[in-house]
Amino acid sequence: MIAAFSPFVALRYLLARRISLLAMLGVTFAVWSMILVNSVFTGFVGEIRADVRRGTAELLLTDLPLDTGYEPLRAALEADPAVAATAPRLRHHGLLQPLRTPTGRGPAAAAAELQFDHTESGFALLLGIDPLREGEVTPLRQWLERSTEVFAVHGAALEPSRVLDEPDPARREQLLVPDEVEWLARRRAGLRVDHARTAHHSTWPGVLLGWRRAYHMGWLREGDAFDLLTAASVPTADGGARMTTFRARMAFAGWFATGYRSFDENTVLVPIETLRTILGHDRADPQGIDLVTDVAIRLQPDLAPRDAAAAVRRLEDRAQAALPPGSPPCRVLDWQQQNIVFLGAVATEQAMMQFVLFVVMLVAAFVIYAVLHMMVVQKWKDVGILASLGGTPRAIGAVFVLCGLVTGTLGSALGTGLGVLSAQNLNTVNDWLFATCGVELFPRSLFDLQQVPVRLETSWLLLVAIAAIALSLLVALLPARKAARMNPVQALAHE
Amino acid sequence: MSTPVLAAHAVTKHYRLGKREIPVLRGVDLTLQAGERLALLGASGAGKSTLLHVLGLLDQPTSGQVCFDGRPVHDLPIAERARLRHAHTGFVFQFYHLIPELTALQNVLLARMMASSMTGYWRQRGAARAAAKALLEQVGLGDRLHHRPAELSGGERQRVAIARALLAEPRVILADEPTGNLDSHTAAGVVDLMFSIQQQRGIALLLVTHNEDLARRCDRIVRMQDGVVLAEPTGT
Ligand SMILES: Nc1ncnc2c1ncn2[C@@H]1O[C@H](COP(=O)(O)OP(=O)(O)OP(=O)(O)O)[C@@H](O)[C@H]1O
Ligand SMILES: [Mg+2]
Repeated sequence: MIAAFSPFVALRYLLARRISLLAMLGVTFAVWSMILVNSVFTGFVGEIRADVRRGTAELLLTDLPLDTGYEPLRAALEADPAVAATAPRLRHHGLLQPLRTPTGRGPAAAAAELQFDHTESGFALLLGIDPLREGEVTPLRQWLERSTEVFAVHGAALEPSRVLDEPDPARREQLLVPDEVEWLARRRAGLRVDHARTAHHSTWPGVLLGWRRAYHMGWLREGDAFDLLTAASVPTADGGARMTTFRARMAFAGWFATGYRSFDENTVLVPIETLRTILGHDRADPQGIDLVTDVAIRLQPDLAPRDAAAAVRRLEDRAQAALPPGSPPCRVLDWQQQNIVFLGAVATEQAMMQFVLFVVMLVAAFVIYAVLHMMVVQKWKDVGILASLGGTPRAIGAVFVLCGLVTGTLGSALGTGLGVLSAQNLNTVNDWLFATCGVELFPRSLFDLQQVPVRLETSWLLLVAIAAIALSLLVALLPARKAARMNPVQALAHE
Repeated sequence: MSTPVLAAHAVTKHYRLGKREIPVLRGVDLTLQAGERLALLGASGAGKSTLLHVLGLLDQPTSGQVCFDGRPVHDLPIAERARLRHAHTGFVFQFYHLIPELTALQNVLLARMMASSMTGYWRQRGAARAAAKALLEQVGLGDRLHHRPAELSGGERQRVAIARALLAEPRVILADEPTGNLDSHTAAGVVDLMFSIQQQRGIALLLVTHNEDLARRCDRIVRMQDGVVLAEPTGT
C-alpha cells in the first residue's frame, strides 16, 4: 500500500520545480534518439541484409576438392525432395582490361589507373555461372534490371543487358551479344572484320560487370572488347605443376547490381564454360570435366525453418557421398553463413551504436538521480515534517521514488511518441527540408536509395520505453533510501 | 485516577558525540491525563524538546518507557510507531514546519493522507476537505485556504499548523514553544485559540514554553532542569 500523501507530495514537488521538467526532457531526448537512430539503423541493416540476400544463393555447397565435376553432385542434390534447383559455380581470379582504343580514354583516366585500388586495377573475382541455370538459384535477371535503376539514381539512363533474352540457348550460355553489336564493337576497337555487317556471328563470350566498376571503367558500350587475363597451375608431363597464364577476349555484355557492395565491386560474371576452357577443361576435350568449385542451391519454397535446417545437414551428407572417398568434408552454407563476416560486422556495428545510445540514456538517468538527490537535500525538513505527521519511512521514501518514476514514465512516453512520430515522418521532413532549404539530412545518392529506410521494431520500442522507466526507478531508489533513513528529529532541526 | 493518555516512566536519552555520551534526559517520569493542559517549563537546554520528541515517538528513549493509554509503545516497529504517532498525537512546532509547496488547505489535508491508501483517501476526499476547511475556518483562516506558507504571516502559519495537528483528531497535542516566534499580541491570539479548541475537544495538551504567565493558565506546571523533572505536584 502506498499512503495517499506520497503521490500527492511527489506531484507537488515535481510541479514546483522547473528542473524536474529538464530531467524529464533528458529522458525524452534519450528515448527519442534511441528510437529514431536505431530505427534508421535497423532500416539500413534491413536494406543491407536484403541486398546481401539478393546477391547470394539460398544455399551454397562449398569446400569441394579440386577437380570436382558438377554432374554427380547435381544428381545427388536434386534427388533430395527439398531441393528445387541447383546451378554450378566456378570461382577464379583474374585481371580484366578493356581493349585500348585510339579514341578511348584521356590522360586523366589513365592517371587514375595507377592507383592501387583493387577495383581500378582491373582485378576481378571471376564467378563462372551457367546462364541457363543461374536464374534458377539467384535472381540473375533482376540483377541486370536493377543496374538500370541504380544508374537512374545517379542520373544515367541505361537499358538493361539483353543477353538473357537471346533465344538460342547455345548463344545464351555464352552470354553472347547480338551479332551486329559485336561487329560494331570490333570496328570501334580497330580490329579486322572478316564478314559484312550482316554476315558476322558473335564469338566473344560475354562478361557482366558489377555496376560499381562503372566508376572507374567509365561508360562502356555493349560489345566493348575486354581482355581477361588469369593464371592457373597446370600439370606438366613430368608429373609437376607449372604456373601458366591464360588470356581470353570477351565482350562487355552489361551491368549487374545486386546491391551487395563488395559483390558489385569485385565480382565479374563470366560464362562458366569460358572459365572451364581457360582452366583446361574444355567441353570438347574428352579428358575435361564440368569443373565446379561450388554448387548454388535453391530449396523448395515455403519450407519450414526446421525442415530447411534438416535439409542442409542432409544435403551435406548427400554431397559428401557423391564425392570421391576420402575427400575432405564439404559444407553447405546458408545465405547468412556465406556472408558471415560482413553480416557479423554489420550486427556488431549496430550493437555498438545501441551501446552508445544506451550511454545517452544513462546520462539522462544520472540527471534524474542528481535532481532527486538535490531534492532530498533541499527537503530535509519536509522529511521530518512528514515523519512528525505520521509518515512511515517507506512512504516517505516513496515520495522520491514516485518523483523519479513519474519523471521517467512521462519522459519515456513522450520520447516514445516523438520517436515513433519522427521515424514515421522522417522522409517527409527530409523531402520538405530539401525542397525548401536545399538541405539534405540523408544524402540519398550516397546509399543508392530513394528513401531513408526506417524500420520501427515493437520489441525495440518496448525495450527502450521500459528500460527508461526502470532506470529512472532504479536511480530514484538511492535518494529515496537516504530520505527514508533520515532521523526525523535531525531532519526537523535542519536549517 | 484513570489511565493517563500519555506517560513517561524513567525515560533517559543519551546523545553520542564522538566517544562522549551526553545525557540529555536522565530519568524522566511524567503523566498526562486525558483533556489535561500541562505546561513544561525549563531553561534552554534542559531537554524539553528532546522529551517531547520521545513522547511523540519521533525519537526513541535510551531507556525507560513511553506509554499511550497505559500501553508501552516506545519499542514498537518503526512503521507501527509512525501509525500511532499519527493516530494519537499531533505536533505543533515553534517554526511551524509547513511544506512550502503546499497551500494552507493542502498542508492541513496532509494529516488525513498519512494513514489512508490512495484509493481510501480518494473515497473520503470530500469529507476530508470539508473537515480541513472547517478547521481552517475555526482558526480564522477561512479566506486563506489557497495561500502558500510564504504568503502567510507567522501567526497565520502557526494557526495552519494547529489546524493540521487537529485534523487527524489526536488525543494529545505536543506543542513545542508554539508562540516562541510570535509577537506577544499574536501569541495571545494563537494561545487563546489553542486553549479553546483543546478544551472544546477534550484533547490533552503538553505545552513547552518559557512564558510563566502562559504556564499559569495551564492545569499543571512541570519544571525541567538538566534532564530531570524537578517536581510534579499531584492534583491541581
Ligand atoms: N542530536 C543531538 N546531539 C547531541 N546533543 C543534542 C542533540 N540534540 C539535542 N542535544 C542536546 O540536548 C540538550 C537538550 O536539548 P533540547 O533541544 O531538548 O533543549 P530544550 O530544553 O528544548 O531547549 P530550548 O528551550 O532552547 O529549546 C541540549 O544541551 C542539546 O545540546
Ligand atoms: Mg526546545
